[in-house]
Order: sequence, then structure tokens, then C-alpha cells
Amino acid sequence: MSLIKIKNLSFTYANAEEPAIKNINLTIEKGEFILLTGPSGCGKTTLCRCLNGLIPHFYSGEMQGDVIIDGLNTKEHPVYELAQKVGLVFQDPENQLVSLNVEKELAFAPENLGLPRKEIRKRVEKSLQLLRIEHLRYKAPYELSGGEQQKVAIASVLTLRPKVLVLDEPTSNLDPKGAKQVLETIKELNEELKVTIILVEHRLDLILPYTTRVILMDRGEIVSDSTPGKVFCSNIPEEIGVDIPVSIKLYNELSKMGVKFNKVPLSAKDAAELLTEVFK
Amino acid sequence: MIETVDVWFTYPDGTTALRGVSLRIKDGESVAIMGENGAGKTTLVKHFNGLLKPEKGTVLVDGIDTRDTSVANLAKKVGLVFQNPDHQLFSSTVEEEVMFALKNLGFSREEIRDRVNWVLKFLDLEKYRERSPLSLSGGERKRVALASVLCVKPKILILDEPTIGQDAKQKRKLGNLLKKYQKEGNTVIVVTHDVEFASKYFKRIIVMAGGKIIADGPPNKVLTSLTILEESSLSPPQVTVLSYEIAKKVNAFPRDIVFFDELLQEIIARLRR
Amino acid sequence: MSYTMFSAFEFKRKDTYIHRLDPRTKMFMVIVFMVIALLFNNIIPLLITFIVTLIPISLAKSVKEWLNSLKGTTILLVFILVINSFVRDLNFAIAMVLRLMVLITAFSAFFLTTHPDDLAQALIQMKVPFDFAFALSMATRYVPTLAREAQTIMDAQMSRGLELQKGGLTQKIKNLIPLIIPLIVNSVRRALSIAESLESRAFGAIKKRTYLYQLKLKKSDALFIIFLTSYLLLMIYIKIHFPFTIWMEWKFPL
Repeated sequence: MSLIKIKNLSFTYANAEEPAIKNINLTIEKGEFILLTGPSGCGKTTLCRCLNGLIPHFYSGEMQGDVIIDGLNTKEHPVYELAQKVGLVFQDPENQLVSLNVEKELAFAPENLGLPRKEIRKRVEKSLQLLRIEHLRYKAPYELSGGEQQKVAIASVLTLRPKVLVLDEPTSNLDPKGAKQVLETIKELNEELKVTIILVEHRLDLILPYTTRVILMDRGEIVSDSTPGKVFCSNIPEEIGVDIPVSIKLYNELSKMGVKFNKVPLSAKDAAELLTEVFK
Repeated sequence: MIETVDVWFTYPDGTTALRGVSLRIKDGESVAIMGENGAGKTTLVKHFNGLLKPEKGTVLVDGIDTRDTSVANLAKKVGLVFQNPDHQLFSSTVEEEVMFALKNLGFSREEIRDRVNWVLKFLDLEKYRERSPLSLSGGERKRVALASVLCVKPKILILDEPTIGQDAKQKRKLGNLLKKYQKEGNTVIVVTHDVEFASKYFKRIIVMAGGKIIADGPPNKVLTSLTILEESSLSPPQVTVLSYEIAKKVNAFPRDIVFFDELLQEIIARLRR
Repeated sequence: MSYTMFSAFEFKRKDTYIHRLDPRTKMFMVIVFMVIALLFNNIIPLLITFIVTLIPISLAKSVKEWLNSLKGTTILLVFILVINSFVRDLNFAIAMVLRLMVLITAFSAFFLTTHPDDLAQALIQMKVPFDFAFALSMATRYVPTLAREAQTIMDAQMSRGLELQKGGLTQKIKNLIPLIIPLIVNSVRRALSIAESLESRAFGAIKKRTYLYQLKLKKSDALFIIFLTSYLLLMIYIKIHFPFTIWMEWKFPL
């Protein structure tokens, strides 16, 4: 059984004239690392909210179709149940860290579930270890850098032991150093702990080599859903206004001129290697 | 022209954000000020329109010491667009929002009307004239906030992190717009850590770290130096990373390329040999 | 200025005897000082009480912050002095000023040394509903955020030529609109964003929430409570047998 199954999903926010997303059909398997991207207003955030039940329970509007998370239909289960399957991390760390210190922040979610203190302690320790933030245990949110804050936000969501982690533009408010920290963390979570990742991100070059699948959205619909190589070698990204990573752009331009490569480079290193082959 | 002479600034909570910054920005330049969060970039540009006055040293705008004049006075020459448009928008229509600065700065009714028409057209906002700015989408609100400062036609336009939350198309539009405004003889300064945006649209890059300027020059010198990038925690533009990786494996390949077309030409040239 | 006045009630993390006390103990301290302040109308006992309130402040190494609070409320204190001089007499007025100073210092000692989360936890253990205590601690957590945002909004509007000092009263009030509207709009947006995040972390899942940390009263709390109780009883005794000694009725010579 697929981890996430979305069938004919459409959603129109209350008081909106147009649906924010329409005709979404998706299947997501365990262990995938999906990059979700598209121009502003394409519906990425709305789709994210459908994945943990915020839509339809927190946001009012008209929802058609079904979202099945690990066998649970999101229409029939409350957010606090779905949050234990799908963790959602948002853009602004300031609005996600509500506690006195990191330790208490991590305890927040399991406390909400009424878990016994021993279990809460266990989960807090595990999250601190997983994200290598034990040294930040007693720090207050304002004492942390942007990158550290987002790592704490991720850790705090992981205490619910979700199988899927959805991150909606987690590096938008961060400087390059912070962005790198967070993307490294996400990559590790997927590689080493096999957490299924759905990442909405604009800084493609840093993360593309680790993704297994790219989904492009435009005006509420999915316009492309394939491997990174296939998606960025087509015309679609340019048509909808999404930047193509430079390595792939180079591949596209040279291929047009007749140069043959044996694969699509997803990173600068890949591209350099392919070019040395070609130069010979 | 903006000139700062050995400017030091410490916030009331004790953080020293600027440690002896001296620079000169001539009329008509396009400058990107870069660095990680906390390097002092925003603190520096807040000195350019008098919001902050230096603790030590002097800031001169067109020869006038910012300590001798008011923010409102400087606002006629220096326009500062803040990062979050929601910190500016409050009017019932986009038109009124744009008129706000013009009314404050004492423009005549005809001038106000002309400038509102001009800026709405320049930023493609005419269709939103009667709409409430708060009801528009994020990208549109950012344009309205820009319009509300641009209508003053400041000789020096400063934007703080204008590309956050913008997609590729919006960034391209903005970059071209800023280039257009600069070609009319105005100075355009952006504070950003978007290295792609800075390298594409700006001729001069000033890099800050720990309250000091650690580099000042064209993109192909500044953004290709590993030491500068390391010290400021910036990443080089993608094209530069690529040229660097290629240079590792291919003899005599230049490692300081910043523009894609240059890179492509260089590779094609080698293939032809 | 109002900023300094508020900063006197903002928690500052320090490692002192008072900081380590349970919030409930400190609540008791405030109540004790309040009761004593209301018991007396005379200068000397109030002056003594005021000096006693300085003990927790100095133990908490927070004298600088407390001085800021007095700076901010000087106008209020002068106002009380003047009004009461006319309503009753100078001695009564001085006594009222001292009473207010006792209250301000006691509350200051509480808020400077108690973190909002600990306060919320104390309330919860005193059976206050979680939603209320949580709303309280969230409000305090976001005060510095709001203050920063207010400053940024002011900067942004000043950069558009807004002059807050210019004009008569009506103009000054009109000038507040470009400051208040963005502040309100942003606060509502922020609240929505926070709510989303809370919801996504199972907020409100079940009624019986558990807590990682429980506040427990320690020996230092017991000692402090005993000290406070004794002090309270002593002052009650003095009140009953007032004036106890002649110098307690000392009045300001006029």
C-alpha cells in the first residue's frame, strides 16, 4: 500500500473564485525524496496543507477528491491524528518556536498527546540526537541562528514520529549558511533514517542531487512529475517560469548543439566529470 | 553621492553592528551589499536615509551630514524599501498607498497625480489601482510597497532583501526593472544574500562580515574568491561553482566565471579545438 | 519612555536565589507585599516595607532594570503626589507614593525573575485551564517580537516621509494609523501562522495533557515562604498595636 495516495483532489478556499489546486493525482512511496516546486501561487502550499489535514479541518473551503495518508482518509481523521503520520514544517521559524527553550519545544508535541513523561523524555532525547542539537538543549529561540531555529522546528515535528516530513520553503527566510545547514539535515534524514521527504524549495542546485523525484506545479495543477533529469530537460520549467539548475542548463544547451552525454548531470561535480569525458 | 567615513554603530542592547565602515557610492552606480545575517548590511543602509545616526564617524548624503537633517528630508532623495511589504501597507486602495509618501513630502496635486500614473504603469499595477493592497497576493504586495517608494523618484533607491519569497520570473522582472531605473541615472542599492540575483544585475558587490567591509568590487572578482566567500558564509553563484569544478579536471580552465553565457562560450571554444 | 517602563517587567535570565524560586512562592511574595502596603497609611511603615522589597530585587541582581521601571513611572508618581497633597495632605501623599513604589517593586521582582513559561506551568499546577495559561505565556513570548515589528513599521513609514512629531493633536493621532494598521494586520497573520504550526503539532489533541517538567517546591522555597509569613504576621501585629512606638507616626514637617 502506498504511503500517500491522492485521488482527483481539488480545493477552493472559502471566498475564493478559483480553486487553488485541481485534478491532483499522486502516489507517494516510502523513502522517496520529492522536490515540489513551481511559480508563486501555483498551489504548492495548499497541497502541503492537504497532506496533514489542515485542509479540510483548519482551512474552510470546498474539497473534492481524497487524500489517503497511510490508510487514513484525511476527511475522516482529525489533524492531531494525521500529524503523527505527516509532519509539516513551515517557512518562518519565529512562528513555530513557541517555548522557553529547545528541550521544552521538543516536548510540546508529545505533551499534547498526553504521553507518559518517560515516553516524552525518550522522544525528546531521540530528536535532539537525530538532529545533532544536544548542545542547544537549554537555549531560547532568540539565542539561535536561523538555521538552528529551523532544525529545532524540524526536531519538534519529528517527536510525533511521522513517516513523512513535508517542508514548505524552509530556507526562504535563511541566509546561505542557514539554508545549507537545513538542507544537509533534510538529506541526512532521508538517506540515513529513510524518512520520506516532500520539500518545497526554490534553491534547487543544493538539493537536486539527492532528490528522487520532481513535481512541478503551475496554476493549481501538476504539470510535470518525473525524475529530476527528465523534468528539467523538458521545456516545461522555462514555460512556467522556473529556473533550471545551471548544470542541467549547460547539458541542455550543449545537447542542442549535438554534444552527447551519457546522463543528465544533477550537480556541478557531475557536470564537470561529464565534460572531461566529452573533451577527450 | 553617499559617503561614509569610519562609521561605528552599536544598538541599545549592546551589539556593535558596524565597526569602522568607510565607503563611497557615486551617483548612478548599481551596488549589491551582501553578507550573512548579522553582518551589518541592514544597519548600514539605515544610515543612508538617516534612520540611524552613526555613533562614531560620519555619513554624508550629497555632502550633507545625516545628523544635520531629518529622515523625512532625506526621504526625498533616498528611498528605502523594506523587506516585508506588510510593514508598510495600510491604505484602502493601492492609489492611496502610493500617494502616502508623495503627500508627506509635499508634492503638488498635479505632481502627485502624474507620479501615481507613472509608477503604476512602470510596475504594471494599473489594474489594481482601486483594490485594497492588503487583499493582493504576496508578490503583488511587494510591488505595491516598491511603488509607494519609487513614486518619489528618489535619486538613490535602496531595497532590503527584495528577492525573498519571489519566484524566478518575479526576480527577473525586478532585476530588469532596477536596471531600467538605474539607466535613468539613479543609484540602485540592494541588500541581499541571493548571490545569483546580485551577480546577474549588479556591477559592484560589497561584502560585509562582522560589521566590516571585507570585499568591494565587480562580481567576477568578489564572488569568485574562496577566501571572501568563506569569511562571509556566502555561496558562490552556480556558474562559478561549475567553472571551479571543471577547472579542477580540465587544464587551464578559468575558474572565475560568473555568467552562464561566458561559461558556455568557453566550453564551446574548447570543444572546437 | 514607555520602552524602559516595560523593560522593567521583562524576564531576564539570571542565576540568582530569587530566579530559582518557584513562581508560586514569588506570587505569595507579591501578595504579602500588597497586603502590607494596603495595611498602612503612614510613611514610616511603608518606607520600611519599601526597603524590604529592595531585598529580593538586589538578591536577584536586577537593580538596574528596577531603576528603569521607576524612571518610567516617575510621571505617575509625581501625579499621585500632587493629587493626594490636595485631596488630603502632604504626608498622606508621600505615603501613597511609597505604597505605589512598594507595589511596583514587588511586581517588578516577580516579573523580572519569573519566566512566562514557568508562570504558565505554575498556573496550570494551580488548576488554571491549560488554554488560558498557554495564551498567557504565548502573549509574553511574542511581546519582544511585536516590539521589534513596531519599530520596523515605524522605520518603514518614516522612510516614506511620515513625521511623528509634526502637527497638532489631530494630526498626531492621524499619524498613528500607518503604524497601527500594519501592526494589527501582521499580528493577525502571525497568529494564524502560529495556530497552523500548533495544530500541526497535535495541539488540543486530548484534554488531559501531560508535562515533561513539574514545578516542585524546594527547601529554598519553604524558607522564603516562612520568612514572608513571619514578616506578614509581624506587620499585622504592628498594625493592630499601632503606633507601637512614637517614631512610627513621624510626619513630614511642614
